[in-house]
Amino acid sequence: MAPRYQNRIELLQGTLDLLILQTLQWGPQHGYGISQAIRANSGEILQVDTGSLYPALHRLERQKWISADWRVSDNKQRVRLYRLTAKGKKQLLSERSRWEQLTDAIAGVLSPAKRGQA
Amino acid sequence: MKFPWQRQDRQQELEQELQSHLQMAVSDGIDRGASTAEAAHSARREFGNVALVEQVTRDQWGWLWLEEFLQDLRFGARMLRKTPGFTVVAVLTLALGIGANTAIYSLVNGILLRPLPYYQPDQLVQVTGFYPKGAFAAMREQIHSMDVAAYAEGYEFNLTGAGAPVRLSGTLVSADLFAVLGAQPESGRIFRRGEDLAGQNNFVVLSHALWQQRFASDPSIVGCWIRLEGVQRQIVGVMPADFRFPSPQTQVWVPLNIDPRDTINYWAGDFMPVIGRLRSGATLAQAGAEIRLFQSHVGNLFPWPMPATWNAGISAVSLQDGLVGDIRARLLILLVAVALVLVIACANVANLTLSRAAIRGKEIAVRVSLGAGRGRIVRQLITESVLMAGVGGALGLALAAGGLSLLKSILPADTPRVSDVALDWRVLLFAAALAIITGIISGTAPALHASRPELTETLKAGSRGTTHSASQGLRRALVIGELSLAVLLVCGAGLLIHSLWALSHVDPGFRSENVLTARVTPNESFCNDPGRCFSFYRDLANQVRSLPGVTNSALISTLPLGGRVQKRSVNIENYLPAPSAAEPLLWMNAVSPGYFQAMGIPFLRGREFAEADTSGNSRVAILSAETARRFFPNQDAVGKHLRLLGQKDWCTIIGVAADVRGYDLRRSVPQWMDGTVYLPYGPGASLEDGHIPAEMTLIVRSGANQLQLEESLRNLASSLSDDTPIAEVKPMPVILSAAVSTPRAVTSLFSAFAAVALILGVIGIYGVISFFVGQRTREIGVRMALGAQPRDVLKLVIHEGLSLTLIGVAVGLTAAFALTRFLAGLLYGVSPTDPLNFAGVAVLFAIVALAASYIPARRAMRVDPMIALRYE
Repeated sequence: MAPRYQNRIELLQGTLDLLILQTLQWGPQHGYGISQAIRANSGEILQVDTGSLYPALHRLERQKWISADWRVSDNKQRVRLYRLTAKGKKQLLSERSRWEQLTDAIAGVLSPAKRGQA
Repeated sequence: MKFPWQRQDRQQELEQELQSHLQMAVSDGIDRGASTAEAAHSARREFGNVALVEQVTRDQWGWLWLEEFLQDLRFGARMLRKTPGFTVVAVLTLALGIGANTAIYSLVNGILLRPLPYYQPDQLVQVTGFYPKGAFAAMREQIHSMDVAAYAEGYEFNLTGAGAPVRLSGTLVSADLFAVLGAQPESGRIFRRGEDLAGQNNFVVLSHALWQQRFASDPSIVGCWIRLEGVQRQIVGVMPADFRFPSPQTQVWVPLNIDPRDTINYWAGDFMPVIGRLRSGATLAQAGAEIRLFQSHVGNLFPWPMPATWNAGISAVSLQDGLVGDIRARLLILLVAVALVLVIACANVANLTLSRAAIRGKEIAVRVSLGAGRGRIVRQLITESVLMAGVGGALGLALAAGGLSLLKSILPADTPRVSDVALDWRVLLFAAALAIITGIISGTAPALHASRPELTETLKAGSRGTTHSASQGLRRALVIGELSLAVLLVCGAGLLIHSLWALSHVDPGFRSENVLTARVTPNESFCNDPGRCFSFYRDLANQVRSLPGVTNSALISTLPLGGRVQKRSVNIENYLPAPSAAEPLLWMNAVSPGYFQAMGIPFLRGREFAEADTSGNSRVAILSAETARRFFPNQDAVGKHLRLLGQKDWCTIIGVAADVRGYDLRRSVPQWMDGTVYLPYGPGASLEDGHIPAEMTLIVRSGANQLQLEESLRNLASSLSDDTPIAEVKPMPVILSAAVSTPRAVTSLFSAFAAVALILGVIGIYGVISFFVGQRTREIGVRMALGAQPRDVLKLVIHEGLSLTLIGVAVGLTAAFALTRFLAGLLYGVSPTDPLNFAGVAVLFAIVALAASYIPARRAMRVDPMIALRYE
């Protein structure tokens, strides 16, 4: 199925979970809203395709990091709203710190001189 | 996690969720100024394949495998219904295999595996040796790794004074036997320490069944006194219904009479089995070491030297192993045989499935070309096989449940723990596991094959499915394997049948036809006045002789094949036992004059006992031929002398009688005995304890009706004495036939399995050859069109069948040659590699295979070339 989704940057394995949890930190959101928020906040660079988003949402729900319920939206539409659970908040913290370690490490590898100065 | 029945709702929710996503995308597009159609189009494009998104999301829910499995199951059931002939044959084959295995496993489970029904059975130990009371008393003092108890089975007690006298089966036990087993009484108490010592042991414990039947479940029975074998005993307890030791036959437990002053009985009475319970922290190995140490010096306590062979190689084994004894080997052999039958059944079903897969090749090719993964198809096909095996397993379980009582009735009556055999959860689990494994085994090869079709070829091949040579090769290999296992089983069955035949046609040394035996069982004390005893038996024999139809009658103390022996140590003239070996131990038979003639035992030398020999004035004895040869090699035993240990007078040997298979049909005496001596039933025929045998067996040769004769015997006995019941009346041929009941049981089961294996093997050959003919119809047509004669076609087909068979037979015989030695312990009168047997099996299989290939061959000969060529 890979060739069908061409115009996107491949997300690193596991980063989508982090992005979803991070997005939900600001309040409950539906799937479409989450994808729009990620796109907007990344300056239109990250496009989450639905074939990854919905499996991820349902997996996170099964892991009890987020919960979901049906609401009627402002324009009278029934939507499925996801919200962060307490367990999800903890998970977000640990994933964030892991991400920061990772980016630091990668940055260190890419420009070793900087690290020496610091 | 969601359950399958909630999936429908969830599926709807998912659809709604994705729809709402799309709608929001569309309205955003409209907000940005696009037309409705444009917005909808771009939203869809951006979204991608809705169905695919749905599917990958659904995959996150779990339970997918279950849903697919149910789907496969439904599909499989539909496919099986479409080919009822195939399904019925395959299911029945599997049912037979699983049923037979389940039944045999239930025996193995009940007899070998199920824990003994006693408290913490893993602590219970059996000492492999046998000890007289004196040695047991010493062991009780000296062994510290376990608490020990001894018992002597097979005693009988006349219960008198409470209604009509009855004879009870009893076991003599040391006082701590119940405590060692951890058994609690249903009412009253068990024996206390010291209640097996002489003078302190007039107690008895009843079985639940006896208490119910004989004492009408009287709740106040404990404390009452009853008269057993002329001795007053107080009932101290009643055991619960589920307590059995050593066998369910025991009705009363009577304490041993341990009396050091009675030297003979104390050191030479019953040699009893000993059981023990490990004390906390002790291990079986420690107990074994302690017992070996004890054995190394216990001989010194005896008032006479004990042979070094006594209890040689003693050890301690778990009680479970000890009780089960040599039935283990027999059961395991049966289990292996029946497992082979199941393997053959699997091969057969795999073969059937393969031929069907050939027909279904097109269906599978279509599914593969529509995108079904190979794994998915294999899973589907195996599910189908497992479904079939599941149905077969359920049927087989029903078969086993129905056949279990039949199976138990085939087993010899003295099989240990038969009462523990039942279809319990372990058996159910076994059957279920067997069904699943069977399904997987019989389904895997065909499924792997079928899932690899050559698409274009199969789809092109019109209405007929094709097979490729690989499939035919696999089918051949399966049939060869099947045949070789069948050959192996039939070889084993042939040997067992041969040996059963030899055993049941063994000359027992006497003529059993028209002989009725009756055990006369007075109280042990009946012969305290020997004169009364002698005259009673003399009168009885004389009066029986005058009954109508009776041609002869005599008495013997231990009937050949009667299950009892009487041992007696003797001094033999001019025979010096090897240093540190004991005096010869003979089987002593007390017989009435005329015994040899009445039993039809050939007399080789000298003369029979005469009436005058019973007076005791002249001491005489008769030896068996084997015994005479052993102790008087190259001499005439007649005129020589022997003396019973403990007696003053020497007996003159007056005759030699032919050997009698007295102990079992293979041997005249047990291995630990040195021969057989006959004494006239009179004052000289004293046992080790100095008493005259009180119980005698009457043998009556007569043409009269058995029931009438039995009636007259009982009347006669009761007219001569009030307290001499006749315990059991059995025709001698029945006793002979019971002596082969164990080999007969093993042989008939094994042969039944071999027969099933043979039939399955034949079906296998028939199937492969039919398929071969079906595949080559066109080729045969061409050959016939080119002038081949039906004979040539016949040759072609038969050649195929025979070559498969010959390979199978060769492999099977090789395996049999290597494996039949494991049967050696069960064989009699035939060598495990008997060439006649092997040749016979080879010929049998060749004939059967010819017959099985002839039917399809005839079909091939009748092929009409024109029709065959237009076949496609």
